[in-house]
Amino acid sequence: MKLVVKNLKKNFGKKEVLKDINFEFEKGKIYGLLGRNGAGKTTFFNCLNEDIEINSGEFYIEDNDTKRKMEAEDVGYVLSTPNVPEFLTGREFLKFFIDINKKRIKEEKTIDEYFDFMKIEKEDRDRLLKDYSHGMKNKMQMLVNIIANPNVLLLDEPLTSFDVVVAEEMKQMLREIKKNHIIIFSTHIMELALDLCDEIVILNKGVLEEIDKSNLNNEQFKNKIIDALKEEG
Amino acid sequence: MIKTFITSFKLKNTYRTNSIIYSIKQFPIIKKILPDSLYKNSGLKIFANIISILSEIIGIFIGKIIYILTMIFMALSWYHTNQADTFIHIFTFLTLAGGVLNTYMLNPTKDKYYAIILMNMNAREYGLSNYYYQLIKLVVGFLPFTILFGMIAGVPLWIQIALPIFVLAVKLIVMNYSIYDFKKTNKASNENLPTKFVWGFVAVCLLLSYGLPAINITINVTVFLVVFIISLILGIYSLIKIHTFTDYRKMYKQILTASNVYMAENNAGTQAMKDISLKQIELDKNYTSNKSGFAYFHDLFVKRHSKILTKAVKKQSVIILIIFTAMIIGIEVNEELKNRTNEILMKYLPYFVFIMYCINRSSSVTQAMFMNCDHSMLTYRIYRTPKVILGIFKERLKTLITINLMPATLIGLGLAVLLYLSGGTDKPLNYMVLFVSIIAMSIFFSVHYLVMYYLLQPYNVNTELRSSTYKTVQGITYLVCWFMIQIQLPTLYFGIATIAFCVVYSLISLYLAYKYATKTFKLRV
Repeated sequence: MKLVVKNLKKNFGKKEVLKDINFEFEKGKIYGLLGRNGAGKTTFFNCLNEDIEINSGEFYIEDNDTKRKMEAEDVGYVLSTPNVPEFLTGREFLKFFIDINKKRIKEEKTIDEYFDFMKIEKEDRDRLLKDYSHGMKNKMQMLVNIIANPNVLLLDEPLTSFDVVVAEEMKQMLREIKKNHIIIFSTHIMELALDLCDEIVILNKGVLEEIDKSNLNNEQFKNKIIDALKEEG
Repeated sequence: MIKTFITSFKLKNTYRTNSIIYSIKQFPIIKKILPDSLYKNSGLKIFANIISILSEIIGIFIGKIIYILTMIFMALSWYHTNQADTFIHIFTFLTLAGGVLNTYMLNPTKDKYYAIILMNMNAREYGLSNYYYQLIKLVVGFLPFTILFGMIAGVPLWIQIALPIFVLAVKLIVMNYSIYDFKKTNKASNENLPTKFVWGFVAVCLLLSYGLPAINITINVTVFLVVFIISLILGIYSLIKIHTFTDYRKMYKQILTASNVYMAENNAGTQAMKDISLKQIELDKNYTSNKSGFAYFHDLFVKRHSKILTKAVKKQSVIILIIFTAMIIGIEVNEELKNRTNEILMKYLPYFVFIMYCINRSSSVTQAMFMNCDHSMLTYRIYRTPKVILGIFKERLKTLITINLMPATLIGLGLAVLLYLSGGTDKPLNYMVLFVSIIAMSIFFSVHYLVMYYLLQPYNVNTELRSSTYKTVQGITYLVCWFMIQIQLPTLYFGIATIAFCVVYSLISLYLAYKYATKTFKLRV
């Protein structure tokens, strides 16, 4: 299964943020999306999540050589600022998400099993989400997106709010689930991208380009990425 | 101080001008035509500047004419007392009430927040210069209308001129007292959060202003003269005290918090708005739900927001019951009130459009829906699927209608009972029309606000209200309802027309919501 993006363009007024995006993202890989501030990473995610209308181009799912439109159920989007309904408890939020995604969940677990999977403590499970810390809200956001089992998982700097221990847990969790998903991971932290991601993609001057690692050691690869990023602007 | 005032005026004018341009750009068709470089366009800037200055000038007079016309002049016809004395009487007591409710200085506005907190301007110079400017506007705004309406009511010329000065003096006295209180307690009072004492004082003033003339008691010219001279002396003393007070920064730092400013502006957006909404959530372990899916989700939303939903309408219902009980007792003991009530019920049904507008909870509920629920949930694609959007819309519609129907039913029944007890009508259909039209109005407002929310979704990701179309619709709704106050029509005809309008409007808007909400209900990015 692939997510294919073809000739995607997005302008804000006269400013061309995404000029001509052509890329194929494959299932089973984590793609690290790097780009300087204002490069258009979030805009790219917003386009894929259909939060904003694109100016031209298309994106679709290609599975066994058949092409189909990307439906709402295909996408999970984890934002850097966690968005959870604060009037619900953690348990109620999970129940709601399980209810509305019933058909898509292959092996349904109990709510407590999901909490265990995300390492959310027992005493926190029945508290209102408004009283959760930033990191815990982020965990919940990640968890409901995983429960919904989308084919494409967009992660917009999701690990920056976690402490080092939780960030490690999350990285491990993403490695575990990647075989069933196409994961695109946007970050500013290069070490994180190099450590976690299978491919590094740079959004540069409104265009996506993959940075080839072949024949390079880590240091050389890092320098190559920095050079590519510096070219922007 | 003059330099500070000019800077602050320029600052205010700049963001007002930019806001005008931004608002113009928010209209659906216009935004596609106008480029982003608009803020640099000098021609348009001049145009927006002219609108800004015109609105400042019109603003000086418009509020005052509406105030004197509706609160004082129109009320004169209710009483059999001397018109001139009644005019002076109502004006005097309303001025006392207004004095404690509106000081200008202690109102935590966005202008003050930007200038004093964000731009670190000299608080004393800023506060005083803008305060004096407001006071000058007050006198200039009042004077033509105290002369005009005072002349019609037969008020002596010197009192026509003295009335605005009396308002000025009262404002100064109240402000001086606030400063005195701040010096003593170290706590600055926010005029948007009046204390129980202030509310009590206002209630007494209102009672005296409209109640005393009903029993043929009013203050006369001599009493006013004494009150005026005392106010004038205290006002001059207060002005000196206000002018020589130095600790304005400390006082403003207490008042100008982000959440206070949001309350004052009602659209300052950002975190403050969200924080206020979050305080409305209640966790009671007993509030659970046996439902599933979006019915479960919505059920919990309603239960966790009972403070602004069910509890609020229960309070309203109790107040309505008290008012109707008092009215029933009143018409049983007072023959004139009985006749007047019957006359009002047969002619003034349009007035109830405004009352139903005021008591309807839908506007604040849709705001809470966004702040505490949709703001986060709309980022999930699954929440934006037609099935979920329309499913939750249906649940919300049922809840809003049910909640608003509670006080509406009481009003509808109460009016029908009052009509019967006040002498009845020779057309029994009037009872039915009174009841059904109130119910129809309640359903209309519930549908109207929810459909507008779904079709225009006015908030952006930062929880700021950013839709000019939505604001315009809100403004028109208010104006139409306010305009209804002025209309007198036979209840039967107006009631039937209202019912028909509400049914047709509700059906059309529900059709539009079902057809378009799946496309329009999303976050403004």
